[in-house]
Formats: sequence, structure tokens, C-alpha cells
Amino acid sequence: MSSIRTIFSDIDVPILGTTLGLVVIGILSIYSSGMTSEGVQVSNEYVKQIIWAVSGLFLMGLTMLLDYNRTKDYSLFVYVFFLLVLIYTSIAGKVVNGSRSWIGIGDIGIQPSEFTKLATILFLAQYLSSSEHVPSLRRLAAALAIVCVPIIIILPQQDFGTSLVFFPILIFSVYAAGIERRHIAFMLAGAFLAGLLTILPLWEKFILKSPPLLLFVLYRQPYSYFSLSVAGLIFGLATWGWTSFRKRYYYWISYVSLLLAGGIIVSSLAQKILKDYQIMRLIVFLDPSIDPRGSGWNILQSITAIGSGGFWGKGFLQGTQSHYRYLPQQSTDFIFSIIAEEWGFVGGLAVFGLFTLLFRRCILLIRSSRDVYATTMVAGVLGMIFFHFFINAGMAMGIMPITGIPLFFLSYGGSSLWTVMIAVGLLLGVSARRYGA
Amino acid sequence: MSSRIPERIGGEEGSPRGRVRVFTVLAVSLFAIYSGYLFYLTVVRGNEYRSKATTIARQTTLIPSQRGEIYDSAYAVPFVLNTDSFAVNLVPAELPADRREAVFAKLATVLGMPIGEIKRRVPPAYYHLYQAIQLLGSVPYSTVTALAERIDEFPGLSWQSKPVRNYLETGSLTHVIGYVGDITRDELKLLYNQGYKTGDVIGKVGIEKQYDRLLRGADGHEYRTVDVKGRNVAVERKSIDPPVMGSNLVLTIDGAIQKIAEKALGPRMGSALVLRPATGEVLAMVSYPWYNPNHFSGLSAGDEYAKLLADPNTPLLNRTIQSSYPPASTFKTIITAGVLEEKAIPTDKKILCPGEISYGDRVFKCWTKKPGHGWVDLESGLAQSCDIYFWTIGRDYLGVERIVSYAKEFGLGKATGIDLAGELEGFVPTPQWKERRYHEKWLGGDTMNLSIGQGYMLVTPLQIADMMAMIVNDGIVYRPHLLKEVRDPSSGALIKRFEPEEILHSRISKETFATLRADLRAVVTEGTPRFVINTKVVGVAGKTGTAEVGLKDRWHSWFAAFGPWNATDPKDAIVVVVMVEATNQWEWWAPYATNIIYQAIFAGQTYDEAVDTLGLRNLIPRQERIE
Repeated sequence: MSSIRTIFSDIDVPILGTTLGLVVIGILSIYSSGMTSEGVQVSNEYVKQIIWAVSGLFLMGLTMLLDYNRTKDYSLFVYVFFLLVLIYTSIAGKVVNGSRSWIGIGDIGIQPSEFTKLATILFLAQYLSSSEHVPSLRRLAAALAIVCVPIIIILPQQDFGTSLVFFPILIFSVYAAGIERRHIAFMLAGAFLAGLLTILPLWEKFILKSPPLLLFVLYRQPYSYFSLSVAGLIFGLATWGWTSFRKRYYYWISYVSLLLAGGIIVSSLAQKILKDYQIMRLIVFLDPSIDPRGSGWNILQSITAIGSGGFWGKGFLQGTQSHYRYLPQQSTDFIFSIIAEEWGFVGGLAVFGLFTLLFRRCILLIRSSRDVYATTMVAGVLGMIFFHFFINAGMAMGIMPITGIPLFFLSYGGSSLWTVMIAVGLLLGVSARRYGA
Repeated sequence: MSSRIPERIGGEEGSPRGRVRVFTVLAVSLFAIYSGYLFYLTVVRGNEYRSKATTIARQTTLIPSQRGEIYDSAYAVPFVLNTDSFAVNLVPAELPADRREAVFAKLATVLGMPIGEIKRRVPPAYYHLYQAIQLLGSVPYSTVTALAERIDEFPGLSWQSKPVRNYLETGSLTHVIGYVGDITRDELKLLYNQGYKTGDVIGKVGIEKQYDRLLRGADGHEYRTVDVKGRNVAVERKSIDPPVMGSNLVLTIDGAIQKIAEKALGPRMGSALVLRPATGEVLAMVSYPWYNPNHFSGLSAGDEYAKLLADPNTPLLNRTIQSSYPPASTFKTIITAGVLEEKAIPTDKKILCPGEISYGDRVFKCWTKKPGHGWVDLESGLAQSCDIYFWTIGRDYLGVERIVSYAKEFGLGKATGIDLAGELEGFVPTPQWKERRYHEKWLGGDTMNLSIGQGYMLVTPLQIADMMAMIVNDGIVYRPHLLKEVRDPSSGALIKRFEPEEILHSRISKETFATLRADLRAVVTEGTPRFVINTKVVGVAGKTGTAEVGLKDRWHSWFAAFGPWNATDPKDAIVVVVMVEATNQWEWWAPYATNIIYQAIFAGQTYDEAVDTLGLRNLIPRQERIE
């Protein structure tokens, strides 16, 4: 049992350093985003962010001190608690920007969906570490169910981006926990197929203007039912073949046909649940000129801001795109655009570098950690931060869809900052205890 | 603390290090790709984006089009003019703090509103808002031009067109012209693809609605390339899509005749129509009561509308096309046409009217009391409007199938297709319908009711006018319409003229129509209204109608007429239909009103002159005379 002192003396300096560095950059950029063209600070967001950062540091230290081996037995309660909070939010929460995802009193509000990510990571790690002798496929199915519950609650709140984050968490976790690769590949391919089939109808309608390929048999209503029944039939026959003759190719035939059937089912469900504009958001990034005044406008403005920064940037508080308000949501979703505009390529590279350093430390932790719970948990945290970075930075540069996912550490917002700082606290806790007896 | 050390993280395949390597590859390649792309954006294409950032925005200013005006048939008297008006908005955050006071002061002078009012509308709490706040709702065009010329002095200021329609003729023309209002969400859903947008003003009723696309024109745009501070750059790249002004509409309505018809109907619930059968032009269309559309543009528009909706007299209804009534004896005209055409009974065959007859278990009483009309033939039956004659020929000689087919031949039961929305179709009952609807057999009594235009049958006054038009035109009916011409708003040049469009072409012979015209003339000279229709300037032919609606001592009063009855040039003939509802005090007013309308039109008189010429002054109720 490590004492508080040894834990603090064993603190992972690179993780702490990158965290502090990113948070400070974030506060500076939020300060800059609140500045008008006249040099007047019109927003107190940076003050709030400082308060959240300081309290977040406290939470981070607290999390680090909690021994994860002792707390892991409570992960189910934490998970269930946040699911209940989510349900409460979806019924009685405040609507902000079209999503009913906030609860709170007066001006102070939190987004429980952010914290649910952490709760899910913890419970997922707990399950995967305690089910090592369960067959791989069944473990994967159970893990999938664990992440699907919050997704199902969040999706009707129309918070599409947040629900998307649960997939990388799942994949990183199960991969680290040793689920068979072909099973993970099956899930990935299924998700890809379902996503593709969800997007294709609208893509065809708004971009291609002409029927594409022969794929339409998979998503157009009358044909897709037919395709589904064919795939189902092949799956049934192949499975029967596999169980009777144990020939390898039967296995793969049923693998592929099940994939197809699953993709069709999930995509037709998704088309019913998702709103057109949510799917359109995913499409617009492919070609911002489709909608130059709508969401395409945001992307074009963001790219212009970043590109105009040049190598060294325009200097702190000198950004023009941001200060003349061409950039939308600049303190939250497009915070990276301000950084790149004012600090240029060098500043952007520094942010990328800090994130990559953090990822590197996470990977080292996974490699050196000795128990499956810690490994899986760190992988889940890695998946979460990695995905946020991947999507948000890519979105700002115009190579990823606009999904409303904030850039951890940097974006304005208490819930996401606290979430990531608690997550870092988990990392630090694992790091400090990895050699402990 | 767990001491369980997994031997292999990677499951059956792949060592833990192998698995972890995948994460490393992911992180490193993401870093490489994003850094590379960032380098490409900032350094390789940096200059391009930098110039884009300085001349970033193409600003679009809306140049509103002007809604077309609406004129009388001579293109002389405007019925509707525009009072152009704008809403001026301010985006507070675009207004620099140090200039705020000065700009407010200047705005106060230009807009002519006290500075305190501006400050009340834009309180300090709003100063950081990027949302447009309306300063003033009704700003004249000249003020907006003044603002537009000095837009650099008013950062954050914008405006949008909110023209106010000024309805000069607020009387009975309201039902024809209609009014405009803000586009609703439901209208936008339907019309979005036709270029309508939120905040547009759209015609709601009448001509304003029917010809909204012609009247509205198209907004223009002015594009300017501006730098980040909103200043003009590259003046030569400024370009303008000029607005397309809305066309002026010339109606078929003759202002003078409209006025005559309006006064002739007077304050009686009902309607009056004047139609030129040779073209289908509607010369006057009056429906009483009416309302004042100018109230809808004021601040209390909602209350005003609610009040009108709740009014039991339904002033929003255009009774010429949106109300249907039993045609009563006017329908005997069609029965007569059927009898003549089918030769169902010799025209001189006489039937005895004893005042009442029994059929089944019912006693059918003619409108006149015992001893009745005596022996009547077709001509005198029509002239006396003898119910017993028509009951008998309807039931025994013509039959329900032929009555229905002739009713349809004259266009009953079908909308006329006039260029106004909301027209009713009326209704022609059939035995099949009755069985479906009531599960009862069609009886001889039903046929008898139908023969005198009572029972289930319903018609609009416009359909009755078209019935008369067919008789005048020897079987042809032209689509009744209100739009005569479309004219260019600035030059007044003719853009489009409405050509008469045949909607009905009857197979009934010309001889039948000629006989029918003579018979209808005989109605006026010898029949029921012979003392009422006393105008000397034109030979009027027509048919009265008095419909039972269940009110004691009160009836719907119809008069459907045309004249001159033997016009040599069909263009001279005019159809007049007056319909006075039973809710009014019983005056048998329809033929009187028709008489006045013919007298005034053909003698070129005003309503008052016509009333005096006809010696009707003492008939006009007191409150009308005061007016």
C-alpha cells in the first residue's frame, strides 16, 4: 500500500506536464476568443475556465489518490448512477444548442454525458478484467452492451458527437483486454458498413445527384429488405454448414453475410433515429461547398483562420478571423482554429506534440501495467482522448466532420475539462502504483 | 492490490507488445498526418489564406422589390397602393464601444426617435450580443436610403423590407382584393422551394393571394466584397442583381359598377355579382358584410382578426363563391331548358294549379294560396314561378336523371374556376348519393323538391351567374375571372392579357336558348317581378327565387338576370345576380337591387340618381338614406 507521499513522489511528470501545458494554452486561447476587434474583452469565459481548471486539478489529485483496485468494485454503481442521471437529464434537462444534455441550477450547469464516458470506461474495465475466462465473443457482446446503454440514452438528446465517443472507448478497451482480433474486426467492419449505409441515401440525394453503383440495393427501402433476407438466408445456410462440416470457408461466409445483415439492420434503424441534419453534417465535411452558408461556412472560416496563421502565427490576441467573429463557437468547438491563427504552424505543432506525448505515456502505461483492469482502463481513457483530438483537430482543419466534440484540455467548458482532468487523475494513479507491491 | 499478472494481454494471437504497437502506430501516424496537413495549410497555402482572410467576406445586402399595385378595369383608379416601410435592426456587438454614443445620437436624428427609446431597446446588457435587435418597425423608404448611403457611419445596422399595403377601397372590394401578412410556417413549408423565405410578406386572401407571385416580384441583391472590418474593398467588384418589381394588376372590376352594386345591396347579408358573359369578366363582386384589411397591418392585427372570426355574420366569407344556398326557383330556368330541349311536354300543354296537391302522404303547397294559378303552360308557369307546374313536369315528365344531367350541363355542382381561392363546388344530389348517405330511397317527393330548387341542392351565386351566362351565350360559358391584365409597374406597358377561356360548351340547341331567353323576358314583363323591374333603359330578363330555410316569414331572396335580353352584340349583355340571405328582414330585395343596378349601369347613373329615376327613394330604409 503506497502512502500519499510516495504516490506524489512517483507522479508521472510527463503526463502532468502535458496536461498543465494544454490547459494553460486553452485558457489563453479562450481569453483571446473573448476579445472583440476593438480589443475589448466581452466574455468572462476565461475566468470560468480558470476556476474549472483549478478545481479540476483538485479533482485530479483526489482521483489519483484513490486506489483503483479498491474502487473498481464500485464501478458498477458509478456506471448505474450516471445512467440514471442521464435519464433524468433527457427528461428534465436544459436544452442548449438543440441538445437536452444539461442539468443544473441557474447559470451553473453540467453535462452528465461527459462524466458518463468515464463511468463507462471504469465499468468496462471492471467487466473485462473480471471476465477473462469467458469466451471472447461473449465478452465482446457484453462490452458492446455496456457502451450501448448510454448511447441509447444520449442519442434522443440529439447529442450525436458525444454518443460517437463511446465506440473508440469500447474498441480501445476490448483490444487492450485481449478480445480476438477477428471479432473486433467484425465489429469495426459492421459499424463502418452501418455508417456507410446510413450516409449513402442522403449523399446520393444531395451530392451525387445520380444513383451510385449498385449499392442502393442495400439501403433503399424495398430492395434493402430483400438484401437483408438474402443475407440472412446465406448466414443460416453457412452456419449450418459450419456446424455440420467444420469447413473453414463456411465460417467466413457466415462472417461476411452476418456483417451485411447487421449493417443493413443497424443502418435502417439509424436512419429512423437520426435526424436528416445530423447525417448531413457528416456529409457536408466531404464537400463544404455544398452548404457554404450553413455548416460548410464554419469549416471554410476555420480553415481560413488556420491557414492565415502561417508559420509563426499572427501573434497572441492578433487573430483577425476570430476577433471579427467570422469563426463560430470559437471558444468551444473551434478553439484549435484560434490557436493556429495566432500561433501559426508552430503553435499547432506544439499542441499536436503535447497530445502525442500524452498518448505515448498512456501506451507506456498499458505496456508496463500489470493488471488487466488498469490496462483496460488506461486504454479506454486513451481511446476517449485520442478520439476527441482526432475528430476536433481534424474538424478545425476541415478533414473531419463537424460533430460538436470539444477538444479536451483546450475547449471552454467545465464538464469536459473536469472529465479529462479526472481521466488524467486515473492515469496518474495507475502510473504511481504500477510498481507498487 | 492485485498481483495477478496476465501472461498474455493479447489473447491467443499477438503478444501484449504487439497489441500495444497498434496504439503506437495509430498515435504516431495521426501526429504525422495532422502535422503534415497543418504545415500544408499554414505554410504551403498560407499566403492564399492570408489574402482570403483580409478580403474575406462577400457581403450581401437585400434590395427589396416593391409589391405590384392593383387597379380597376380602366387602369385608372388604384385599389391598392404601397406604403413602403422597413424594419431597421442593429447588431449591438458590431458597434464599437467608443462610437456607441455618437452612433445612437445620429440614429436618433435619422430615424426620428428619441435617443432614450433607442437606449431602451438596446440596453447595456445587450452590448455584446451578435443578434439583430429591431430598433423601429415602420421606417419609410427615404430614411432607409439615407441610412444606406452612410452605412459606414452605422456599424451593425441593417434593415429589411416590410411594406405596408394601403387599401384605398376598403368597402366591398376587400373580398376581391384580400390582404397580405407575414408568411406562416406552414405556408413556408409549401412555398420554400419557390423562393419564399422567412419574414416574407405574402398574400393571404383574394387577388393578393391568387396572384402573389406576380405581385411580389423578386428581391434584388447587392454584393460587396468587404474586408474583415466590413469596409468596402475592391469597389469594382461590387455588383448588383437589381430587384424585379412586382407587376401591376388590372382587374376586371369596374369601380363605378362595384360601387353601384355595393350600394344596391346595401347593408343586407348577401351578395351581388355583375358579370360580362361574353368574356367571363367579373365587373362587380359584392359580399356583405365586409371588413377593413388595413386593420391587419396595425399592431392590433391579431385581435382584429379574432374578432372577425368570431363574428356570427362571418364577414371574412366571400358570399359570392364561399357560400352555397338552395337555388330555389332560379333553378326552374334549368328545368325549363330541359323541358324545351327534351320536348318532354308540349310547351302549350296546360297543367292545373289548384294551389296545393297531395303526393304520397304529403301536401305540396304552391307558393301562392288557394285557388292557385289555375291552368298554366310552360311560359306562364315559369313567369308565375308556379311550383305545382314544375313539380308535375319534374316528377312525371322529366325525371330525376335528366334534371341532374341538365343541372350539371349548366355547371352546377362544380367549381367555376374563378381566380380566387376557396370557391365552393355547390352540390347536385342524385338518387345514388341519397342512398349512400341516408340509406333511403330517392322518392318522387325528392324529385319534386329538386324541381323547384329546394331540398339538398346547393349553388353559389357565381354558379347562378354562369347559368345565366350560358343562356346569353347560346351554351358557352367563359371562365369567370377578376384579372384582366398584367402591366409593367414602371412603364405601364401591357405584359399579359387574360383571354376568355371556355369552361362549358353545352350541347343544348340554340333554339332552346332563344326560347328560354324569351321566356325569361316574359318572367320580367308578365311574371312575378313585373312591378319591381321597372327600369326603362334596358330590357331585363331573369328569374326570381325565394328559398325556404326554416325561418318564419323570412326567405333567401334570389334574382338572376341578364340584359339586354335580346342584345345584338353579345358584348353588351350583362348578367346580374343578387342574393339576399334570409337572416335579413324580408323585403324581397334581390329584384329591387337588380333593378337599380341595371338602371344605373345602362343609364350611366350613380346609385342615387338611379334610385331617384326609378322612384324607389321611399323604399330605402332610413339608415341607408342618411349615408
